[in-house]
Amino acid sequence: MPIQVNDLFYTYLPKSPIQTEALKGVSLAIDDHSYCAILGQTGSGKSTLIQTLNALLIPTKGEIHVGDFIITHKKSRNKKIKHLRKHLAIVFQFPEYQLFEETVEKDVAFGAKNFGANNEDALKKAHEALLSVGLDESYFKRSPFELSGGEKRRVAIAGILAIEPDILVLDEPTAGLDPQGANDIMSLVDEMHNHGTTIILVTHDMDLVIKYCEKVFVLNEGLLVFEGTPSELFRGDVRQFSIEIPPLFQCANKLKNKGLPIDIDSIKETTDLVMQIKKWKRNHE
Amino acid sequence: MNSISLGRYTPYNTFAHRLDPRNKLFLAIALMVIIFFQFKVMSTTLLLSGIYLVLFLTLMIISRVSFIELFRSLRGMWFLALFVVAVYIFIPNSSYTGTTVAFYINGYPIYWMAFYQSGYIILRLLLMLILMMILTSTTKPMDLTYGLEWYMTPLKVIHFPAHEIAMTISIALRFIPTLLDETARIMKAQSSRGVDFNHGGIFKRFKAIISLIIPLFVSAIERSEELANAMQVRGYNPKAKRTHYHILRFRLADAFAFASTFILIGGIITLFVFDQISQNGINLFEVIFKITPGF
Repeated sequence: MPIQVNDLFYTYLPKSPIQTEALKGVSLAIDDHSYCAILGQTGSGKSTLIQTLNALLIPTKGEIHVGDFIITHKKSRNKKIKHLRKHLAIVFQFPEYQLFEETVEKDVAFGAKNFGANNEDALKKAHEALLSVGLDESYFKRSPFELSGGEKRRVAIAGILAIEPDILVLDEPTAGLDPQGANDIMSLVDEMHNHGTTIILVTHDMDLVIKYCEKVFVLNEGLLVFEGTPSELFRGDVRQFSIEIPPLFQCANKLKNKGLPIDIDSIKETTDLVMQIKKWKRNHE
Repeated sequence: MNSISLGRYTPYNTFAHRLDPRNKLFLAIALMVIIFFQFKVMSTTLLLSGIYLVLFLTLMIISRVSFIELFRSLRGMWFLALFVVAVYIFIPNSSYTGTTVAFYINGYPIYWMAFYQSGYIILRLLLMLILMMILTSTTKPMDLTYGLEWYMTPLKVIHFPAHEIAMTISIALRFIPTLLDETARIMKAQSSRGVDFNHGGIFKRFKAIISLIIPLFVSAIERSEELANAMQVRGYNPKAKRTHYHILRFRLADAFAFASTFILIGGIITLFVFDQISQNGINLFEVIFKITPGF
């Protein structure tokens, strides 16, 4: 399902003394099966944008097309929103706060059940989702409230995975996790992407952007100020958006400037850079 | 979350906003008391209520309280109004006998007095509502609490925990917007999981509410634990003598507001006392306009 956003405006608390314009005419297109990132400072409108994508917020002006679904400010045209939410699911920041059921499996099955799966189906999907986030059978019957923070986050993410959406939006999925936990979750997301799910990642972690994302959108004060690949972004002047260039990119760029034949666009991880240096060294000797 | 914003503080800088919260609290309560004075003559009570209404509406305009919000809160009151009218009309009341009958339903008399009484009660509720709205939308909740604390301070002599109560209230007030934000956040998260908070049968709605309430409670309890720890770490001691960052000041404008309200209230009380002493009560219409209304 491709996403097309046309001239999107969103205003919080319109016509009150504290009204704020969060989005001021954003237009962008996200391709099917892509892996893209939405970047920007706090208050740049990232969260507002992703919430309009599945109609949790109804735009003040403009249109969003998600596959066949259309979201506009005209309420009459926003039917079937619930079905849209089955196709485009959001994992919010700190999703562990949305757990409420008595057992882990019931909580994970909750979303699938809401979208029409029967009890057995939902439970089956829940078990699959739990296994895929790395929680085995011993967790199924436990209360979600007795788990650790990282485990809770996995349960919450599994709850979204069990819905089996076509597009998965993740808002800072690694915030507050230890490196191992963050890594696990990101490789899980990568695996979903390999199975055909479109991934939209909201993050401040540029290492993730360079490692996974094909396309980057940068928002600043409610406007789209950059659109392109990660390496295009880091080659440009990113300081104005308060984005830190990741050390890996800096290192690769410096080596290239010193004369090493490095293909910057293909570098996603440290090992890629190491491989290229090794290759160059072999050829050189 | 718009329905919960009733009477919420609005950050303007009007005359009413600048008044001392202690003063505003006192004046609002005093005005509320005089609303409830019922004179012997019906027309006098009505005339005064009309005067209060005009006065309060003027105050509303001065302090830039939104009329839309007033109407919104009235919308929530219509059932109460209907209930009051029904009770007054259909429950027999001995004091009506002898007064004019409006009409009969199956031989059961409906008196004009019943309409008057219920209308008067609704009017008084409206007046109180306006006063409360002016108070809460021109005063920050924290300032109100400080005002309250100031009034409770003398009670410390009898070991009344004035500061602790003020602290509890101010923490509760402080967390209302936080909890509202939290509610909105959890509602959005659950909506993404397919919960529909606005449609569906009773059972579905119940399930939807459960999916909201439990996470809300969990996070509220976690928050309160964290807050208690944070306060303890910073050495909070409820028994300690403390000062305020914002010192409440009684200014010239306060004196003016106090004096004018005082004169009004004094006048009304004098009138009320004379009314109670006199045989037939005071008919203001007669005194002012030299006419006698028909009822």
